[in-house]
Amino acid sequence: MHALIVTCLVLVIALTASPVAGQEADALRRELDQMRRGFETMKEQYQKSIDALNDRLKRLETTPAPTAVAPTVPPPAAQALQAAPPGSGLGSTMSPTDLLRPREPFSLYGRRGSGQLLFDMGIAGDFVGSFAPHNVQKSGAGTFGAETNRFFPREVELALFGQIDPFARAEVRIEASESSPGAETTVSLAEANLTLLTLPYGFQAKLGQMRNRFGLTNVIHEHDLSFVDRPNVLRNFFGDEGLVEKGVEVTWVPDFLPFYLEALVGAFNGDNAQAFGYGRITQPLMTGRLRTFFELGDTSAIQLGISGANGQTADRLSSTILGYDVKYKYRPDGWLHPLLTLSSEGLYSRRRVEEVVEVETLVDTDGDGIPDTPVTNLVGKKSTRDAFGWYLQGEVQPVRRWAFGARYDASQFPDRPGFEKAIEPYVSFFPSEFLRFRLAYKHTDRDRTQIEGFNLNGATARTVNEVFFQASFILGAHPAHPF
Amino acid sequence: MTLRNLPLLFVLLGALIGGNRVDAADKLRVVATIPDLKSLTEAVGGDLVDVESLARGTQNAHEAEIRPTMMLKLRRADAVIENGLELDSWVDVAVNGANNPNIVRGARGRIDISRGLPILDVPTIRVDRSMGDVHPLGNPHYSMDPGLAPIITQNIVDGLAALAPQHRAALERNRQTFLGRLEEEMTRWKKTMEPFQGTRVVVYHPQWIYFLTRFGLTQAATLEDRPGIPASPGHLVRVIEQMKAERIKVIIVEPWNDRKLAARVAEEAGAKAVVLASMVGGVKAADNYFSAIDYNIKTLSEALK
Repeated sequence: MHALIVTCLVLVIALTASPVAGQEADALRRELDQMRRGFETMKEQYQKSIDALNDRLKRLETTPAPTAVAPTVPPPAAQALQAAPPGSGLGSTMSPTDLLRPREPFSLYGRRGSGQLLFDMGIAGDFVGSFAPHNVQKSGAGTFGAETNRFFPREVELALFGQIDPFARAEVRIEASESSPGAETTVSLAEANLTLLTLPYGFQAKLGQMRNRFGLTNVIHEHDLSFVDRPNVLRNFFGDEGLVEKGVEVTWVPDFLPFYLEALVGAFNGDNAQAFGYGRITQPLMTGRLRTFFELGDTSAIQLGISGANGQTADRLSSTILGYDVKYKYRPDGWLHPLLTLSSEGLYSRRRVEEVVEVETLVDTDGDGIPDTPVTNLVGKKSTRDAFGWYLQGEVQPVRRWAFGARYDASQFPDRPGFEKAIEPYVSFFPSEFLRFRLAYKHTDRDRTQIEGFNLNGATARTVNEVFFQASFILGAHPAHPF
Repeated sequence: MTLRNLPLLFVLLGALIGGNRVDAADKLRVVATIPDLKSLTEAVGGDLVDVESLARGTQNAHEAEIRPTMMLKLRRADAVIENGLELDSWVDVAVNGANNPNIVRGARGRIDISRGLPILDVPTIRVDRSMGDVHPLGNPHYSMDPGLAPIITQNIVDGLAALAPQHRAALERNRQTFLGRLEEEMTRWKKTMEPFQGTRVVVYHPQWIYFLTRFGLTQAATLEDRPGIPASPGHLVRVIEQMKAERIKVIIVEPWNDRKLAARVAEEAGAKAVVLASMVGGVKAADNYFSAIDYNIKTLSEALK
């Protein structure tokens, strides 16, 4: 190009020049040489600029482009793939050395595109209104205890989740809720864990604080439950919050079986006040789970699982809980939601309990060496207590916005005699994927002879009729739920 | 289990971390999130790949039910081919449950096909959920635009060749064969649609913008009030009035959407509701990429006559 310009200038000069004397020709030649050198210098400068621009372009291409912006000229796909972050492919070549190598997670922040976070963030709000007769409120033995006859924030949860690096992802959930009537709200750490994704042989490990994968419902947060309240058996066996523990879970998914199987084993502190409260990893709460799944055609499928947990109570007494779970879904082809969902979960608890019993002994009161007077003493007596509970839920969703269902509960109490049964029909209305309202009625009957725990403050709650209203919303990102 | 056993657990974990396995199967086991990408991968991969799809053609790709059988497919996969642009972000949950390090996000076996594509409907203003289930990265339904197939297949070739460089030449040959046929078909499709240049149609869900733009048609309205939000009666009345005023003849419906509602609206407006294959396998006659687009061209052109 520059050569062309130079040639043109020479031609212009040559064509426009009038016959000149020899000395003028020399002067002109010198001037022309100067101009040529000038052009050469300019050419070099241009080349440098072009090289600098090329370097800059390469640097930009090796930085992941913000995908929110549509490229005006599609870059060649090969270049796009070459532009993958240096971490690409580490999943298959990782070694302990790779793991030990220092990384610069914060440098990613500096390279991000405008408006892009490096993780997802979402808020889920769950508000519940619980209405029951005065005796239920007074006894505090309704489903929501002291929150009976109140409208309250059961769970407002901030969820942050995403990839830490090519090897692991993390999830943090901070939860605010009203734990007792009043203006105050309690903020707590609901979950905070990391999952190592690149372990070989089909293993994966999750470490931190988490909702345990025990059965169907325990792992689900309040706002995502298919019903307003947790099933009675789960609340009786694991407490109102369910089983939330700190420790590690390792899962294994074999690739040689013709069907899906997930095996899980976990070791935790044991911080559950209801079932496993010893709270030391040296005497850990051990959990296990097997889950399998069968497709019954394109439209229906069933999931089966068994779970187990063994640990010690706060009193250092042995506690074991075993469970089964079944879930069936029928979703006609092309439907955006299942038409029919059936699920059931059962828990069996065997634990040592220490009960205070009256023991009558004879005491020598007259000093003749022969016990003669009966005296009653209170002593702790250890025994083994078995308890079982289960629930069955059915839900029909004939149209996209409405779902109708019912749950039947039957449960004994793992640490005391007695049982309760409940039936809870409900209706859900979904204005959109991110908003849901639910109305439910719950009727509970408790064992006539064993109602000590429900007969407080001069009121009894043997039979309880409650109405629940629930409003739940999701703001921002929310991970999809597996089957 | 006591404290004495815990070091054993960590030693075991450490050994597992360091002992990754590299599968050496002859064929690449590829899982595509949607059947369109399965079909295109089969065209490019030929005998070199075994391809499965997670979603079916009759489903809404936004809301595929995440079944553990998906995780089983992914457990054995060498590569996952995903649409990207948040259409199939549910695949993350399935991948996380598959315990397969080869396909986690950032791994070589994770192939996002949307890279380098000219994306339409990219929001130029602030978006939020008041606009419905919007896609902040742009409209993700590009896969049924045959004009984009050259870039899509190039991305597939590059992604698979990164896993198996020895197959690059064969993959590229297959791609050229595919593109040769595509060029022939494209000429025919464009000729069929030529009389309808500039025609306005109504769609149920805004997922036809690439296809319509490619063949010179325009999207006049959607039956959904906003993306993913079921239509309100007021909105439907407005759409019917618009269709009457503009003499719009056709409503395009996805196989998974409410066909009865679309038929009622079409009847009110004096138009036709036609079900097109929103993905390969969406209707019976659309069992591969060519037949799916062919079906859509034929059905739409017939309806517009």
